[in-house]
Amino acid sequence: MVAIVVRRLLWLPVVLFFVSVITFLLGFYAPGDPVQVLLGVHATPDTIERLRHEYGFDKPIFIDPDAFGLAARELSQGKLPLNAIQQFFDTQYFRYIANALHGNFGYSLVKYRDQPVGELIAERLPITLQLNFIALVIGVSLGLPLGILTGLKRNTRFDFTVRTFTLVSISISLLALLPILTFIFSRRQDIFGIQAGPILPMVGGRLSTISGTDFNDCFGGLAPTLIGWGVQPENIPDTRIICLNQLPKLVLPILIESLGYIAIMTRQMRASLIEVLGQDYVRTARAKGLRERSVLVRHAMRNALLPIATILGLSLGGLVEGSFLVESWFGIPGVGALAVDALYAREYYIIVALVLIIAVAYVVALLALDLIRPFLDPRLRQVE
Amino acid sequence: MTQTTLSEFQRAEDSSRMRSPWLQIVRRIVKNKFALVGILVIFLIVFVALFANVLAPYGYDAQNLDAKEQPPSSAHWLGTDALGRDMLSRLIFGARSAVFVVLLVTTVNLVLGVPLGAIAGYYGGWVDALIMRIVEILFAFPGLLFVFMIAATVKPVILGWARANGLADLARSGYLDYAVVIIALGFVGWGGLARFVRDQVMAVKVRDFVLGAFAVGVPTWKVIYRHILPNALAPIIVLLSAGMGFIALSEGYLSYLGIGLQPPNPSWGNMMAENAGRYWRTFPQSIWLVWVPALILTSIVLAFAFLGDALNEALNPEISD
Amino acid sequence: MSNSQGNNRWLVGIVAILVVALCGVILLGAAALVILTQPGNTPPTQNTPGVSTNSSAPARTPVPTRSSATNSSGKKVLRLPGGSGGGGDPPTLDPALAGDAESAVYVAEIFSGLVTLDPNLKVVPDIASSYDVSDDRMTYTFHLRKEVKFQDGRPVTAQDFKYSFERAANPATLSPTADTYLGDIVGVKDKLNRKAADIKGIQVVDDYTLKITIDQPKAYFLAKMTFPAAYVVDKNNVERGGRTWTDKPNGTGPFKLQEYARSQRLILVKNDNYYLDPKPQVDEVDFILGGGSPMTLYENGNLDSTRIGIADIERVQDITSPLNKELYVGPELSTQFIVFNTHKPPFDDPLVRQAFALSIDRQKIVDVVFQKMPLVANTILPPGMPGYTEPSGKPEFDTTKAKQLLSQSKYAGKMPDITWTTVGAGGAAANDIQAMTAMVKDSLGINISIQQTDWATFIGQLNDPSRNPYQIFDIGWIGDYADPQNFMEILFRTGSTQNWAAYSNPAVDKLLDQAGVEKDPTTRFKLYQQAEQTILSDYPVIPLTYTRQYWLTKPYIQGMIYPPMIIPRLRYVSISK
Repeated sequence: MVAIVVRRLLWLPVVLFFVSVITFLLGFYAPGDPVQVLLGVHATPDTIERLRHEYGFDKPIFIDPDAFGLAARELSQGKLPLNAIQQFFDTQYFRYIANALHGNFGYSLVKYRDQPVGELIAERLPITLQLNFIALVIGVSLGLPLGILTGLKRNTRFDFTVRTFTLVSISISLLALLPILTFIFSRRQDIFGIQAGPILPMVGGRLSTISGTDFNDCFGGLAPTLIGWGVQPENIPDTRIICLNQLPKLVLPILIESLGYIAIMTRQMRASLIEVLGQDYVRTARAKGLRERSVLVRHAMRNALLPIATILGLSLGGLVEGSFLVESWFGIPGVGALAVDALYAREYYIIVALVLIIAVAYVVALLALDLIRPFLDPRLRQVE
Repeated sequence: MTQTTLSEFQRAEDSSRMRSPWLQIVRRIVKNKFALVGILVIFLIVFVALFANVLAPYGYDAQNLDAKEQPPSSAHWLGTDALGRDMLSRLIFGARSAVFVVLLVTTVNLVLGVPLGAIAGYYGGWVDALIMRIVEILFAFPGLLFVFMIAATVKPVILGWARANGLADLARSGYLDYAVVIIALGFVGWGGLARFVRDQVMAVKVRDFVLGAFAVGVPTWKVIYRHILPNALAPIIVLLSAGMGFIALSEGYLSYLGIGLQPPNPSWGNMMAENAGRYWRTFPQSIWLVWVPALILTSIVLAFAFLGDALNEALNPEISD
Repeated sequence: MSNSQGNNRWLVGIVAILVVALCGVILLGAAALVILTQPGNTPPTQNTPGVSTNSSAPARTPVPTRSSATNSSGKKVLRLPGGSGGGGDPPTLDPALAGDAESAVYVAEIFSGLVTLDPNLKVVPDIASSYDVSDDRMTYTFHLRKEVKFQDGRPVTAQDFKYSFERAANPATLSPTADTYLGDIVGVKDKLNRKAADIKGIQVVDDYTLKITIDQPKAYFLAKMTFPAAYVVDKNNVERGGRTWTDKPNGTGPFKLQEYARSQRLILVKNDNYYLDPKPQVDEVDFILGGGSPMTLYENGNLDSTRIGIADIERVQDITSPLNKELYVGPELSTQFIVFNTHKPPFDDPLVRQAFALSIDRQKIVDVVFQKMPLVANTILPPGMPGYTEPSGKPEFDTTKAKQLLSQSKYAGKMPDITWTTVGAGGAAANDIQAMTAMVKDSLGINISIQQTDWATFIGQLNDPSRNPYQIFDIGWIGDYADPQNFMEILFRTGSTQNWAAYSNPAVDKLLDQAGVEKDPTTRFKLYQQAEQTILSDYPVIPLTYTRQYWLTKPYIQGMIYPPMIIPRLRYVSISK
């Protein structure tokens, strides 16, 4: 068991290696580079060259073949080609890796100059995570029961209504859905001359805690309790928890994100439940005269939940990905908005760091999934 | 007398066996009303796509700047857009793009995902590990953004290749954009499918009838093809049907990001993206500018979904009432 | 049965726990929401000096959110969307690094320099109360005010300026603007290219006198000194703060940075040590950086002023709309051009270029596609730029003449394929291009295909004009400083790196060189106008529009100005409520 975990975890650096290489490659071949974006059209080639040199962008990407010449020279002089080896690896990619191992993931060049990439992501990741997590929880807690109910009451009006509704909710392009929802909920409406404030306030201004002193802003009522426990609010570290009183601003984005989860959970639960209920062993159980509830819980559910586990696993891995559309539409400072902005500005460091984080999340999630699966499906135990 | 009854009986048996399982599946689908509507919608769209040139009253880029954003009228049944182009014609030509993209992307996904997933699930071991690691690597890239990255990188490469090989016309014609979008979307989508197939195959291959087939000595590929895949097929089809809808939606988001099909090529996604921001500020116009393409797109997605559900039920005789 | 009891119970147990936990969380959350959002629970303000562990939070007092311009303590707060109206983050707050409008909006308020621009874009004294120019017009002596202090109270001296210039010209600072804005100073280019350790051309005469020598008698030098690259920064502040010193800047401008929560909000408070009049009249300026549409925030009453884009303009231009009374229009020092690559067929033939220019109805594009937001352009220099000449008539549009010219061209009947490259995202960016290509098709029968590309790719290709692969494309040029040289020479002189049309005309070059060093302003402008006419008659570009900025501002805000360039303007604003 442990051996499996260790073996799978050893894959992680390999995965990260490939992911980073591919990203560097894509960055290399995509035309345009961050220096040019930074300088815009008002730059002269001299400035561009100068800055590229200072940033090290004129170094080779992966390996430096010129090092071979240096190696030959060194060898012919009877010396060990140490300088050549150093030059061989003095490339953008390896410098990045060396820095990354120290925790330095580079700096933003264009959009947030000189801010460390690690910090930029650390600022935004918790917000995206919280958003996605809440959406996922809503999705599961609504989707599974709905799936079960519709699976049991197949082909009833209830079934059709629920299925249609969930399907429609994910079939409407966000490009049409987002505007209309904000139109209805986020605008001050003019109803017969009366100004009625927005039902849900717009995201804007402070959203999450920055540090202990802002804790009071967000959770002011809790401060006395914490002090009573001996915790000073100023000593609370930077947590980026979404302030509870800002939650109304986030109702719409969370709702929209949860639609997808609800739909998938409902459909999958229903589908697997139906399939499982048609199996022989269920018929056997029923024929034996077991109560329906017993049949359901003991026989049907466990097997029906298998594909759900897969989906859940994948969803958990996907929590670190922000939905760009939702985040940029509502102006939520999350990872998704950062990612696309970084792409437009060719901010390689940000992109690579983000991609690596997502890779880690997925590898860990999938590993957890594969570990849990034999527990859920005894048939697989003999295969593992 | 026993002879005739026997032969009658046998003939009846034969005929019911000859009534192939496919027909039975079709029958079951037809019984499902939603699926029927879905099939109808899909046929309609494909028909429109095929005969777009004949059906559309105007060209898709026939501009008339004096008649911009007109409401529906007798001259323009669905009104005009910001450049005075007829919305109905653009929607009709947009069907062509939609069908083309969805079909090809799904094909790419299928061709890449199903065999790889089946192989991974069946053989297990290092084959499985390798393929699954590749899928994990694929998953590491954020969906739409990966498409963006690929499109941004792939497009100039294809452009350069096309120009160098004298296919400059192809490069200009807009098919290049299709190719980029299809490659990007197809490349991103097969991972999920492969993973799913692999899970299904792994679950199915230990079922009794499969073990029985092996015991009897049926060769591996036949087992996979004849026994494992069909049983794994149903959930795959459900996934695919949802996938098709998602592909259609993704095309729209790509246009919004600026890497979809180029103007003036119409695509529903294009049309929605153009007006997404303006939507609710110009309320009446937005109905035909944004909502008509959105609703048509939605109905396609729904059609695929219902069809998928119906196929699912039809292919699993155990679950029909 | 193959399922053992134990496993079942285990699973059921887990599900049960999850459900209970979920209910518990929801209940807790609801209770917390109810309790915490009760009025009267906002805490007393605390004065905690910067205890934060990360560097993005300078010392400040926590501020509750407000929904009116004066908050409960009577402070006057101005609420604006981020940056130049779009609501985004500033890429940087470091004057040596600020090269774009979004950053400049804040930098111009937090920092200041020797000279600045007044609302009419005239160069006026700032920290330097006066300056002398030598006879050869290559040496400027600045006399600094003695009362200017950094925001922490330390007096500003000429040494601080020397430090700031040296820092901006230091290649390790990676300034993108030093070449352009400080490059005329003797020694700056050498330092940037690591050929010198110090800038020879900057001399500290005494604590309040600074001498700067430039390489040629360029008339536009002072205009360049108004740019952030020439602002003064505090040496201690920069060196102690390290790479992220701008989180707690110690500037000299009318406002201090109180808080910057990235992508959420940025708060400026007035600098009581400010030395110029009028002093800032609002106590605080809140920039809301996240939050989606600034227009909606404005309509909801969360913002006091906002920029309007083309999506909303129709609604606001409607006279019957109440928003119409809050509408303000200002010029921008910018012209949008259609550029022909004169090295690529068929645009190497001036007849083709002219035919194209005559077959596009620019007025109609502006009226219909752009909803009359910008002005139609007929000249290279935009209105507001010194040297601008009012065009005598509407832009030319003559399809008959166009067809005639085309038939005379060497490409008549053998027109090569043409691709129009444009930057686009969201589809709508290319509407005007689509309209124009349709016009060309109608008038001349030529099919142009459109290629949308993203910004990074686009400028990547453009930054080397000799290898520019685009045939025809559209691009805008925003004035860096209010001098015609910025448009004329940079865009059209042979060999200039922003001469995207690859236009080369020795006669024009001569005029431009002459004008660059001409002493008398009137003669200068005449020379530039001459050059402009010559260039336009060759049609390397078609000027399309002069962009304008549209703003909505609440009636209780006074003094808001909308200058075409980013200048410090918040100190003119007052709130009457």
